[in-house]
Amino acid sequence: MQADGNYSALNEFWHNLKAIPREVYRSMFRGGAPKTDRTRSSFVFGNVFLHLHSVRTHLWSLRWSTTAGLGIITTAAFFITLVTGVLLMFYYKPYTDVAYQSIKDIHFIVPTGRYMRNIHRWAANVMVVAVILHMARAFYTAAYRHPREFNWFIGWGLLVTTLALSFTGYLLPWDQLAYWAITIGANIAQSPREITDAMGITEFMDIGGLQREILLGSEVVGAEALIRFYLLHVMILPLVLAGLMAVHFWRIRKDGGLAKPKDADERVADEAKEFYPVFTDQPAKTYQLAAIVKGKTPAVNSGPEHTVPSMPHLFYAELGVLMLTTLICVGLAFISDAPLKELANPLVPENPAKAPWYFLGLQEIVSFSAFMGGIGIPMLCIIGLGLIPFLDREKEGTGEWFGGPGGWRLVKWSIAVGFVSSILVEAFAIRFGWLREWFPDIPQLVITFVNPGTVITAIYAAFSIWAVKRFNSTRAGALALFTCFLAGFIVLTVVGTYFRGPNWDFYWSPSSWPGH
Amino acid sequence: MNKNKYLLMISSLGVFVLLVAAAFSENFLKDWHRIQATATTADGPLDVRLRQIVNPNLNVTDRCVTCHTGMAAGEQITSSLKVGAAHKPVVHSTQEMGCTTCHGGQGQATEMDDAHGNVHFWTEPMLPAKYAYASCGTCHTPLNVPNMPTFENARKTFERLDCYACHRLDGRGGTVRPGGDITGMEGPDLSHAGIKGYNTEWYPAHITKMQQAQDGAWKNLFREVSDEDRAALKIFLDTQMGAPKLIEAKAQFNTVGCVGCHTVGSFGGDAGVNLSISGLKDPNQLNFSRVPGERSVENWIKQHFRSPASTVAGSQMPVMGLSEEKIDLLTLYTLSLRRRTLPDIFLPKDRVRAMRFGYREFASDGATIYSAVCSACHAENGMGTRYPGLVPNPSIANADFLSLASDDYLLATIKAGRPGRPMLAWGERENGLKDEEIKGLIAYIRQLGGGVQAVPDTKPPIWATGDIGTGDRLFTANCSGCHGKGAVGGEGPALANPAFLKAATDTFLVGTITNGRRGTVMQGFANGSPTRPVLTQAEIESIVVYLRSLKK
Repeated sequence: MQADGNYSALNEFWHNLKAIPREVYRSMFRGGAPKTDRTRSSFVFGNVFLHLHSVRTHLWSLRWSTTAGLGIITTAAFFITLVTGVLLMFYYKPYTDVAYQSIKDIHFIVPTGRYMRNIHRWAANVMVVAVILHMARAFYTAAYRHPREFNWFIGWGLLVTTLALSFTGYLLPWDQLAYWAITIGANIAQSPREITDAMGITEFMDIGGLQREILLGSEVVGAEALIRFYLLHVMILPLVLAGLMAVHFWRIRKDGGLAKPKDADERVADEAKEFYPVFTDQPAKTYQLAAIVKGKTPAVNSGPEHTVPSMPHLFYAELGVLMLTTLICVGLAFISDAPLKELANPLVPENPAKAPWYFLGLQEIVSFSAFMGGIGIPMLCIIGLGLIPFLDREKEGTGEWFGGPGGWRLVKWSIAVGFVSSILVEAFAIRFGWLREWFPDIPQLVITFVNPGTVITAIYAAFSIWAVKRFNSTRAGALALFTCFLAGFIVLTVVGTYFRGPNWDFYWSPSSWPGH
Repeated sequence: MNKNKYLLMISSLGVFVLLVAAAFSENFLKDWHRIQATATTADGPLDVRLRQIVNPNLNVTDRCVTCHTGMAAGEQITSSLKVGAAHKPVVHSTQEMGCTTCHGGQGQATEMDDAHGNVHFWTEPMLPAKYAYASCGTCHTPLNVPNMPTFENARKTFERLDCYACHRLDGRGGTVRPGGDITGMEGPDLSHAGIKGYNTEWYPAHITKMQQAQDGAWKNLFREVSDEDRAALKIFLDTQMGAPKLIEAKAQFNTVGCVGCHTVGSFGGDAGVNLSISGLKDPNQLNFSRVPGERSVENWIKQHFRSPASTVAGSQMPVMGLSEEKIDLLTLYTLSLRRRTLPDIFLPKDRVRAMRFGYREFASDGATIYSAVCSACHAENGMGTRYPGLVPNPSIANADFLSLASDDYLLATIKAGRPGRPMLAWGERENGLKDEEIKGLIAYIRQLGGGVQAVPDTKPPIWATGDIGTGDRLFTANCSGCHGKGAVGGEGPALANPAFLKAATDTFLVGTITNGRRGTVMQGFANGSPTRPVLTQAEIESIVVYLRSLKK
């Protein structure tokens, strides 16, 4: 060029200047606009954020009925809490003498601070609900089975981390609600004491007290607990969650995408017709790499059938759900303010002091037996949940809603058994009391093992064993047990939330609480 | 798949609209924006921005002035906006003290209901304007306040002597300029005489001025003041702190015997709850189910005075039968019990004196001590009260009693109380009444009983002789109906009380049994009655011996 007599560096500079927007765009999306299959593919795998997706997505996975978008809703809610949470961190001060005032400032004078806090709170609740529903979806479609056992494990970790995030966030406003909810939560952590007390070994081995002290960093909920919860909430747990999320997503891809029934290809055949020809341009490569890849060798000159390019089909769906979740959160935040009660006051106990709503089911059984409610039954659930993929190794019904022996009919029966038995046991305990009222001198250990919580658990277990025998299938037992526990969780949570008043007594509505 | 595209578009638009709407309403549609937008100053429209008073020492961040702009530093609102009016001139700088220090409410809030504290989760709603003087109690502790009759007399004395002619007091009076009609100096403002102090030698100074004066106010208006009136004026001036209604309320409080059961600050009984911060009740913690009318703290307090036991379940406080006017004053005083912890530089003199130097919160003359401490049980006239459901309280102004009870007996009784009974030990060690104060109190009690002095007793404290068995039998037959089996008390006082038996001499016991107490159900056994036998001197002594045996 320089040899050319007409060359002018100034002209060149002018042209370069004009080309900046185009060239910046081109350097960002090197493959060009995602208009052909090739460019769409490179759009996905050339992008650090998108390459967790496969280049093409099976039509089955895109069906709303497959996942209801619950995983994306959870992820979206997490990102919303992340963004709003970071904004809140600009003003929040995690010290007991100013924490409450800083929330008041966020509420009253930080521009849109109140709205951001509302969104944060709603997104956190949406996340808890969605993560539970997402787990239920994965369970009911038997998506935990081989090769997805490990991802079910990770999902379990994500559930626990989500609850922990929400719980640690609960303390930060330092109001009465926070203070006493965390006090209750810390007492639940202390519940092994019921057993060690009954055995008389608390002074040698106080596991409960130790757990509580590790949680609070002190004997009581105070400055140490606040800074500890803050650090967990804004740093440690989000990092753990982000790490687990990355593994979770990566494993979806590596485990062969979403679980599909065996006949998924046939069932999406009608939809697939809309998308032929599958390739916009002919493949021009040989398939040497195919030699080291697991599974069948792809056929040359023929696209993977019943799949569509992830760009744009999958991304529209994912972004659509993301924005829908955002809409739900900002909409709820618009109509309902996040609660902020009086400044925390250790001298004025809330009565009733209630844990966050998702722990009220636990608090309900804790009211019968601290150990069973706080440790025994939750551990049983958590270990049982984690081990499901290894206990149910059947093949029938994978990828199908309520798939497997028994199916929807069994689930319907399980719902009935789950609700009816828990409501009856609760009603009995509320109406007639329990062992302590009838035999005041009964040893606590008896109550620890025979209380409404364990009775409900035993009924559920018996019903599941019946289901295993009846259908001669472990999956049927799992369906029965999981459904029952879900129903029990709902019943106990509702009772704990709406029907428990001062001193954890039963009331038909808060308006009949004494003193109101 | 197009459906997802529309989902994406519609929800994105929805989010956008909501975010913009929220940003707009949060930043531009708040009430305070509209209020400030309508306000004008001498220099044109007021600029719309958040205003606040901050004083970290008092823990004050008061955004009240965001709406009440006329009270913000340097703002002069000219429009006739009521909410933007300037503060009435007061003794304290509003810019220094902030708003919530006196008025309560939620300073950080920028919306009316929240700021005024009329929301569910704010523990300190604003004090109603009617009880505004209660707010002085946040920092101040009125000292030297006598009981109502004394205070009323002192106030009337000030009025009767027409001190108002030359002196200003709480915005009243001071019309005459003693030094000359226009140019002359006016008399000192006495509104804060109790706190700031005044020339205690004022009287000789006034007399000198009067004698030197040729004409004018000094010559024509001032007259000699009697010793008695000067004492009354001193009482009046010592209480003045610029909060007349609060002093009146405290005088009322010192008249109905509240501290006999309740502690305020560092003095008082422990039968009732400690009242030191009872003005800071959280309306959300109060039970309003038996309180007619609005759910406000003042309404609750009033109802509690009218009917304590129905307002607070299990309350032992008797119905005092107070008039609404008195209840109103007591409510004001209760609301004024809101002492905050303050940094030293903000502690007013009166509070320091009460906190650090042990000054009494009430005047320490016998009459006031009697009204403030004793009158709830022993009645204003000393004849004892009889509240329904409670044990009757002894009538201590009874002439028969006072003629037998020596000053030593009364001193010992007041100092040591009656352990296990409502009568507390009021001695300096236990509850802080000094011996001189108790002596003043005894003098006042004798005055209530018509000036009866004790008949001198030359016998040793214990002289009665007799048979314990006989005494026991006679006591069970004749006395235990009222005084209880083993003299543990019933309708009548408990006699098997170590403090009582220690203080009472045999002369006192024998005399009481022999002659009884006229005007009470206790009648003398020397004469007998249709229901009571005549007891001989020996029998009476044997009862005394029996009582002595109950000492352990």
